[in-house]
Amino acid sequence: MTTTKSKVDHGLLLIVVGLAAWAVPGGGHFIIKERKRGIIIFVTVALTFLAGLYIGSIAVVDRVGAKPWYAAQIMTSPVVGLIANKVEMSVAEDNKPKYVSYGKSHDVGQIYTSVAGMLNLLCIISAVYMTWCGRGEMIGAEEDDT
Amino acid sequence: MTPDMCAILGAFTCPIDIPTNPASMLWMFPLLLSISIVYKATKMRVLFARKFAKEVAILFGTISAFMVFLGVVLILMVKLLIE
Repeated sequence: MTTTKSKVDHGLLLIVVGLAAWAVPGGGHFIIKERKRGIIIFVTVALTFLAGLYIGSIAVVDRVGAKPWYAAQIMTSPVVGLIANKVEMSVAEDNKPKYVSYGKSHDVGQIYTSVAGMLNLLCIISAVYMTWCGRGEMIGAEEDDT
Repeated sequence: MTPDMCAILGAFTCPIDIPTNPASMLWMFPLLLSISIVYKATKMRVLFARKFAKEVAILFGTISAFMVFLGVVLILMVKLLIE
């Protein structure tokens, strides 16, 4: 009975860690007490994504015209969905899209934001795998002691 | 909202100008650095600042060197095909 319960708890923890890692880059590692890792991941992924948005404007998040890119971008965080909503809903006075992106800066911005998403996917997998291996209980505990 | 905050947010609504020239390829290096940092952050068993920085620098250098090598090979191939 206790084993079944602990298996359910462990499964639930895997899901929570996965969701936290997706919601906030590095959040999954933070939950399993891998704090340094979590901070490094958060800063790097967030900076890469924001750099992409700065280079190509928020219009690089385009869920209608660039679906494969959007699939990669959404892996950064669910917040990307809100940005996509904002871009999609914003229309200028002459009925044209309010936010536009074009040329080389569009390409570079799209690549930056998509790579940020793919990097976060790697971090989600890493956090879930570490939890599955029980890393949060072992190395995290050592980290807490120091 | 303060004017500074408006200016910061406004910067994200219009793209910056990147000309289509060979120098635009330099934009790949910050990305390679990000990839190196995140990859090493997920792969190293225990993070020690000095060792982490060293591993990141080695990986960043390796990928950068390979990308530059690949670029040179592609330029040479194009030149051979054109001439």
